[in-house]
Amino acid sequence: MTSILEVRNVTKKFGGLVAVNDVSFDVKKEEILSVIGPNGAGKSTLFKLISSFLKTTSGDVYFKGERISNLRPHIVAQKGVVRTFQETTIFKNMTVRETIIVAQHLRSKATLGGYFWGTKIAKEDNKAFGIQADELLDFIGLDSLRNEVASNLTQGNLRALGMAIGLATDPEILLLDEPFAGMNPEETMGMVDLVRLIRNERKVTVLLVEHDMSAVMSISERIVVLNFGSLIAEGTAQEIQNNEMVIEAYLGRADDALGA
Amino acid sequence: MNLTLKSKLLIAGGFLVFVFLFIPFFISFSGRSDFYFTLTSVALLSIASAGVWLTFYIGRINIGQGAFSLIGAYVSAILVMKAGMNFWLTLPLAGLFTAFVSVLIGLPILRLKGVYFAMITLVLTQVVTLTALALPITNGARGIVSIPLPRELSVFGVTLIPDLGTMDNPKLAFYLISCVLMVLTYWVLYRLVNSRLGQICRSMQQNEELASSIGINIAYVRIIVFAISSFFGGIGGSMFGAIAQSVYPSTFQVKDSIDFMLNCFLGGLGYVFGPLLGTFVLYFGWDLLFILDKFQLLVYASIVIILMRFLPNGLLSIRFSNLRRKSD
Amino acid sequence: MEQILVNGVYLGAQYAMIALGLTLIFSLMNVLNFAHGQMYVIGGFVTYTIYGQLGIPFVVALFASCFTLAIIGALVERYLFGPVLKRSAREESSMLLAAGIALLLDAVILLLFGEKQRGVPKIVDGVFNWDFRIIIPYDRIVICCLAIFCIVAFIAFMQYTKTGRALRALAQDRVACQLMGVNVDRYSTIGFALGALLAGLVGGLLVTITGVNLGMGTPTSIKAFMMVMIGGAGVISGAIAGGIILGFLEAFGLAYLSQYGDITYLLIFITLMVFLAIRPQGLMGKPWG
Repeated sequence: MTSILEVRNVTKKFGGLVAVNDVSFDVKKEEILSVIGPNGAGKSTLFKLISSFLKTTSGDVYFKGERISNLRPHIVAQKGVVRTFQETTIFKNMTVRETIIVAQHLRSKATLGGYFWGTKIAKEDNKAFGIQADELLDFIGLDSLRNEVASNLTQGNLRALGMAIGLATDPEILLLDEPFAGMNPEETMGMVDLVRLIRNERKVTVLLVEHDMSAVMSISERIVVLNFGSLIAEGTAQEIQNNEMVIEAYLGRADDALGA
Repeated sequence: MNLTLKSKLLIAGGFLVFVFLFIPFFISFSGRSDFYFTLTSVALLSIASAGVWLTFYIGRINIGQGAFSLIGAYVSAILVMKAGMNFWLTLPLAGLFTAFVSVLIGLPILRLKGVYFAMITLVLTQVVTLTALALPITNGARGIVSIPLPRELSVFGVTLIPDLGTMDNPKLAFYLISCVLMVLTYWVLYRLVNSRLGQICRSMQQNEELASSIGINIAYVRIIVFAISSFFGGIGGSMFGAIAQSVYPSTFQVKDSIDFMLNCFLGGLGYVFGPLLGTFVLYFGWDLLFILDKFQLLVYASIVIILMRFLPNGLLSIRFSNLRRKSD
Repeated sequence: MEQILVNGVYLGAQYAMIALGLTLIFSLMNVLNFAHGQMYVIGGFVTYTIYGQLGIPFVVALFASCFTLAIIGALVERYLFGPVLKRSAREESSMLLAAGIALLLDAVILLLFGEKQRGVPKIVDGVFNWDFRIIIPYDRIVICCLAIFCIVAFIAFMQYTKTGRALRALAQDRVACQLMGVNVDRYSTIGFALGALLAGLVGGLLVTITGVNLGMGTPTSIKAFMMVMIGGAGVISGAIAGGIILGFLEAFGLAYLSQYGDITYLLIFITLMVFLAIRPQGLMGKPWG
């Protein structure tokens, strides 16, 4: 398997604080890779660096050999690297279906002017958007809620909606921001299945940042562990579970998630 | 409000008949030709308000429309007076120039949000007024006066608009032309909002970060929308100057910018025709309060405050919620 | 040159005081007080009436200005902004309410005091003249010193009194304050009253030099907005910095640019736009979305 995403010596400093320190790793095509680490390890920062929502201090991120760090977020999305947000970030006054129709922006063939005048391409686009939105909502399991306003959805459904938004852009790699946070075991299992389904059926590479160890262990083919901004381990779930540095990093903060 | 296409066309047709036939007949019948000026002003101010509404639609509170209207008015006045151009040619030029200025200004300031964007656009209005006072080409506080009425506009020998200077009733002509512009503006606005761009704007209004994550070039869309909005402002201002036959730095000032915003808000930010209704109500309200003489401003301000206090979603919101309750 | 610097200090001190009141209200309630300039004008007219018309000592008039505005501020917060902010979190509603209040105060000023420009007798006569390099009337020096004194007193108040500390806490985290048992409503009213009081105080001070008229309200608000944007909204040090910077820019502009027409404010605005493009949160403000 070839690498699709390469993180090379990425460093991010906020003033004097080093949030991410010289991190390098690869993501292979169509794998599910998780970045984990205790609170404040720099996971979220790394996530934003990869999706270009933050600028790196030094180092770069490459997608299929092309540099994508420090570009504007919409350009990164155009190239096929798309992130999701935690559930509070939605178009809260739009219905589920409208949201997915807007989210298919990258599929549009007509120009904005074309949509205004209602050209043939634009009409075809609008028709396709509707069909594909229904299809996607069936796939993700939100079809019964398609006319519900987004702000009325439950937390679990909002996360599914977030993923549907990401998928509507036809990404090659989907970056998931803590997809299991705050879920009970049952919901977590459902979400794990959904992530697997996305990868298997849509051939999307998945990189996720997560705090919940147990879910990560069952879903990930490989895991990258951060602590205090540095990469301390990389490997399969089993390798990570037996890695002493990882155990120390988590146990060093007694209240953390190993058992939970 | 989900109207069928048929009822939409009926409402639109009824509105056009009312504006273009009923009102002129009514006025010629009653002899109250002073109404023409009021209604023409409403039509033109509602064009500028439509622009403000559009910037609201991408989640920006725009208190700078007075600046763009003033720029539009000056561009036309200067081109007519100094270059001897036909007013009807300067009208689109005024709109385009204003849109160009708005792009230059928008590039840095559209990154600001909420109160910050509101503040800087408000400052812009004041700065444009001060600049008009200072520059030689705008003739300072004396303004540009005695602008001739627009000449004939003809294309390939066909007269589209006759020479207003030789007409018996230029007021009626101005009224009709302004209404045509208003109808065009709201047609464009309606199409925009119901096209893809409208969806994109709504998504940006609600969350710009998420919008950019799905590949929308938010900076570009913001600029486009702001330019269209300012184009409306420029057109409205340019026509206003032509009717008044004069432009002063005080033709559009901070109070006007705030009024444009009030028009939109009063009519309702969720409804395309909100700014039209808002402009009409506020303008007529202000005129009706004229009988109160020195208490005019006091009562007007009190009404605005009371409306804000008790009707936070605008006038159209009561109408629609009542309708909905009846149909339930 | 020395003259320009002195003018800058003089302008900066008064501007900083105007900006302080605005930024205090902004930080507490996230409300842009459009009516700030009108409040300043009312302060000027109260001092004019008591000191200029009735001949009562200036200090008394100044206190009356402060008192009047504190009452107005408290009423506006209690009966208008407070309820509206509770009912709707939309920025537009509070902003339009503020615009409405500005109109209302304009109307009140028009009815009570009329449209004419009013002035009061000088509080101190004479002109300070240092070798024709610095020429400045004594009353300006007095007002400038008073303004600086008031700024220092305000900072001390915010730092060392219980009320001041509560206000600062409120500005930082409203919810946390509520949870800690701070009477949020009461301190919001106090804070708004204090902000309005500052506007009245400057109005009272400056009426002795520039006089006062109805039309001064809106331009004053707009200058205050510029200062707040330069310094960073909601930050006390930012308001002071913004005030001083705008004061100096204006002093330099008047000295060097007046021969090209009054384009000082156009240049300041363009500079401000470029500055905000690089640093949207202003000099001292915290970064925001």
